[in-house]
Amino acid sequence: MQVTPTNDNTLFLLNFIQQQASIGTWEYHVEEEALQWSDETKRIHELSLDYEPEIASGISFYKEGYSRETIKKLFADCLEHNKNFDEELEIVTAKGSEKWVRAIGMAVMEDGKCIKVQGLFQDIDEKTKNIKALAFKEEQLSKTFENAVVGMAILDLNGQWIEFNKSLCHIFGYKKEELQRISYLDITHPEDLKYDYQAMAKMMKGTKHNYEAEKRFIGKNGNAIWALLSMSIIRDDDGKPQHFVAQINDLTHMKIHRDEVNQLLETTENQNKRLLNFAHIVSHNLRSHYSNLDMLLDLVKIDYPDNTKNDIFPHIEEAVSHLGETVENLNEVASINIKNAIMLEPINLLGNLNKVIKGMSALILDSKTIVVKDIEQHLRVMAIPAYLDSILLNFLTNAIKYKKPGKPAHIHFHTEITEDHIILHISDQGLGIDLEKHGKKLFGMYKTFHNHKDSRGLGLFITKNQVEALGGKIEVTSQLGTGTTFSIYLKKHE
Amino acid sequence: MNKIDIACIIDDDPIFIFGAKRMMELANFCESFMIFKNGKEALNNLKSLIKTGENIPDVILLDINMPVMDGWEFLDEFIKIESQKPITIFIVSSSIDPTDQDKVKKYQNVSNFIVKPISIETLKSISAKVLNP
Repeated sequence: MQVTPTNDNTLFLLNFIQQQASIGTWEYHVEEEALQWSDETKRIHELSLDYEPEIASGISFYKEGYSRETIKKLFADCLEHNKNFDEELEIVTAKGSEKWVRAIGMAVMEDGKCIKVQGLFQDIDEKTKNIKALAFKEEQLSKTFENAVVGMAILDLNGQWIEFNKSLCHIFGYKKEELQRISYLDITHPEDLKYDYQAMAKMMKGTKHNYEAEKRFIGKNGNAIWALLSMSIIRDDDGKPQHFVAQINDLTHMKIHRDEVNQLLETTENQNKRLLNFAHIVSHNLRSHYSNLDMLLDLVKIDYPDNTKNDIFPHIEEAVSHLGETVENLNEVASINIKNAIMLEPINLLGNLNKVIKGMSALILDSKTIVVKDIEQHLRVMAIPAYLDSILLNFLTNAIKYKKPGKPAHIHFHTEITEDHIILHISDQGLGIDLEKHGKKLFGMYKTFHNHKDSRGLGLFITKNQVEALGGKIEVTSQLGTGTTFSIYLKKHE
Repeated sequence: MNKIDIACIIDDDPIFIFGAKRMMELANFCESFMIFKNGKEALNNLKSLIKTGENIPDVILLDINMPVMDGWEFLDEFIKIESQKPITIFIVSSSIDPTDQDKVKKYQNVSNFIVKPISIETLKSISAKVLNP
């Protein structure tokens, strides 16, 4: 049967249909060995409409390999054995693009002999590619689902499994077959079940879109397993609930760690409380004993002056006085460490230094100490006045205490300004410290480096604590016999 | 008046009381003293003294840390009592905790915070404050 147009209209309609449906026609007349393609068939091949196909060239459009071999075999079978075919194959068009096509062929017989093969040629490229892309996506998704580290499940509206992944089995300790025999609700901790039910009901009603909870499940061995559940509902195009998607994150390890951290925190808090108590004991109890001793010594001196005129009494007096100092120092250290919120205020650095120097003017005059202040008038640091006083006083007295024998102390203050800090450099030309030997313990409690009669070894420790409490730090450079420079970083006032 | 008539010590520490009494004698601080071992004991006795108007102390040296009723609790109760005779209160404590020193500022009736140990000089300055306010 040949497609013979009866009139122009029919031909037009036929062409129109072919074009809209991307379906072309073709026929092969055996005797004449003539191949005819409809316009649409040529268009699918991206050929001009005056192209005249031959059987060999027609076949050569099929992609080399599977597609070309298949069409050859199908066409031969159709010719020789009267076998119709319908196959999806790939072609390479005249412009070189690869396309999926559906090729249909049908033998027309006359007197038991094939006189003609005719068929349809359909462009199914877009459809095929979409299907293949979809299949790829589906595979990707199912691989993601299957191999996800979190437990994942798809549940029907009654809480029965539709699907679940390996991780889910792993979390609860079940084999796949074992888990399939029970439902999601069976592995939920009975006490948490009602929350799940409520949430699932709300999601089905549409008042809730998803549900997240830290809840307990029951593992195969009967133990409670803490997990983070995130569940959401999937609806069809009409908004009808289809199924639930659940993600389950095992929190057991996190929970254990969290408990450990909480335990540690509690221990630390307790220790801190005990330290505060200790500070209080130091502040009050020890101090009250010291003050009693001191008072009693005063009374002995007045009431029994004869009892003080011996070798022992002055030592007792000295010991008591040292006890008092120690208690005071310990108390100072404790009070720095227990201050929580420290209120810093802007303080003029030069003004404050002048005030401290004035307060110790007797010592400075006595020792003929030279103080050089290269500090700009306007500089202000953020500090607690008492701390800043104590810090400056400490460095000043240290510089005087550890001056070179026979030479007055020479103390040079100068500043350096960085983005956040004002660095106060205090250089003396004193004895110097062997930093290689003592550097690490320089700021430790009760470390002294000079066999000096006044060395108490607490000054730098307290100073460092105070500077740190002000949000700064101290650096030191020193050379034995040359002197020491302390650099104090103090917060800049904006 | 050039000498305090009655001084009251409220402290639980017998050594302090022993020392303070002797210091007061040496400093010629007062004619007589009255001693209570804690805030409760002091409050009860002082209440009835103030009621009768007899033997009301001129000055109270008050410790902070005491059993039963501490110095702060005593103060909170004591300031509610109205007395005909002015009573000057000094906190005398071994505490060098700045929070204690800040706290004392909240009480108008308290003249000063004295850190132990007390000496003859301390007592002299106290009596100066009491006698010439």
